Amino acid sequence: MATDSRRSPSTASSPLRRGRIPAGFVVLAALGVALVALPLLGLVLRTPWSRIADILTSETALTALRLSLVVATTAAAISFVLGFPLAWVLVRSTFPGKTLVRAIVVLPLVMPPVVAGVGLLAAFGRRSGLVGSWLYEWFGIQLTFTTGAAILAATFVSFPLAVLALEAGLRGLDERLENAASTLGASRWYILRRVTFPLMGPQIAAALVLSWARALGEFGATITFAGNLQGRTQTLPLAVFEQLQTDTDAAFAVSMLLILLAFAVILSLRGRFLR
Amino acid sequence: MRRILILATSAGLLLAACGDSNADGGTTGTGATGGSGGAEAELTVSAASSLTEAFGEIGDAFETANPGTTVTFNFGPSDGLAGQINEGAPVDVFASASPTWMDSVQDDGPGVTDRADFAQNRLAIIVPADNPAGIENLNDLTEDGVQLVLAAEGVPAGDYAREIFKNAGISNAALANVVSNEEDVKAVITKVMSGEADAGIGYVTDVTPDVADQVTLTPIPDEVDVIATYPIAVVNGSQEADLAQGFVKYVLGDGQQTLAEYGFLPPP
Repeated sequence: MATDSRRSPSTASSPLRRGRIPAGFVVLAALGVALVALPLLGLVLRTPWSRIADILTSETALTALRLSLVVATTAAAISFVLGFPLAWVLVRSTFPGKTLVRAIVVLPLVMPPVVAGVGLLAAFGRRSGLVGSWLYEWFGIQLTFTTGAAILAATFVSFPLAVLALEAGLRGLDERLENAASTLGASRWYILRRVTFPLMGPQIAAALVLSWARALGEFGATITFAGNLQGRTQTLPLAVFEQLQTDTDAAFAVSMLLILLAFAVILSLRGRFLR
Repeated sequence: MRRILILATSAGLLLAACGDSNADGGTTGTGATGGSGGAEAELTVSAASSLTEAFGEIGDAFETANPGTTVTFNFGPSDGLAGQINEGAPVDVFASASPTWMDSVQDDGPGVTDRADFAQNRLAIIVPADNPAGIENLNDLTEDGVQLVLAAEGVPAGDYAREIFKNAGISNAALANVVSNEEDVKAVITKVMSGEADAGIGYVTDVTPDVADQVTLTPIPDEVDVIATYPIAVVNGSQEADLAQGFVKYVLGDGQQTLAEYGFLPPP
């Protein structure tokens, strides 16, 4: 998608590109910026800066941070390990129903997270879950209320981002380079490691960072499917939510931490988002 | 085509903005005239989530008794609702599942008037209908591997549950079995209903006819049980103070029968 978006032949020299900006656009654009900037400004102003160090080193915050890092990193890793082969299949083969497969895989991007949680219960719940009921009956394994469930929820929502980024990378790849390596006798694994992955470096980084960031922010599916228990399923967003009820200052401080992490993600992908 | 789209969007925004200011003007107007009958008025009631069903019915009856009135409910955990009010949420009436959070609005928030206790409630062990862990009493909650769900600390139902465990001397063992601290008592019931949790602590009133076939209630012995007292009050700064007062009176009067039908006990 990203590769052929610049269809206009002379974008740079187009007379419309520079010059008068419609007044209405300025107003609407400013409104758009305000829409995003005001909540951020509100957070900055409400953050208890004098207490932030104490709050962020409290046991609740540290436990949630540690768990969040484990959950998001594992989810990003799973998204890559499963997403790369899937992207490969989607880019380099044709099969009936491919469009449908792609639509299904991308769906979590636009699905309300709480619906994702309900869906995960329907698939992995111990009572009526499609797979979960068998897991429970045969092996006594219950996923709900475990860190595994939090990872599963985070992976569910972050997987599509990884697939899309990896697909874009594979599509932009010059296959002749891989073919050349092959004719020189390189094994498939060697080509993957020494040709494909290095050429796709930026896209692989993007896939990992984007899915990591999405996993870090996951809330709705987690609280619905995994529950909320300190050290086991209470990730940073869940900690914010719980603290908002009792200790507003702590909620703002942890929110600020999440904003800073998100900001770091945008900066690390500046080639993608900032020009 | 594009121009039309942009125009339409801006017009929509403008309309939305105008609609808002009109609504504000309207409510202030009726408040100022203080008319008790006929005028259009909207009442916002923040109520503990355990009141969802009973207050839903009371709200309908109040609307019928006061034509032109719309009651909008905001159900949630009492601690969260108190937090919203203290942050300046425009709420006319607050009904809490514990005096603690009414005190919070009274002392740390905008303050209240016409405060009165309007109901009491008892707590209960709630298990899925098929009771997979065979929970018959409080002590069963301490057995290894029981998946117990409570409302979070601070949420009245969560605090009451922890108090009961303390009274029964099973705090450590029972709390070790907690697998999730839920946002409010309704979320506890949801987790039990889905069969993912073996047991939860909720109110006896949570086993409504809608869920009666999916969950079973086990009473908690009197000597360790905690009785929840529900206060209601008009929040200071209400634009509809008269109507809000009317609603409080209604809950204390005609509403009592509805509350009793849903299993609430009369106020102390």
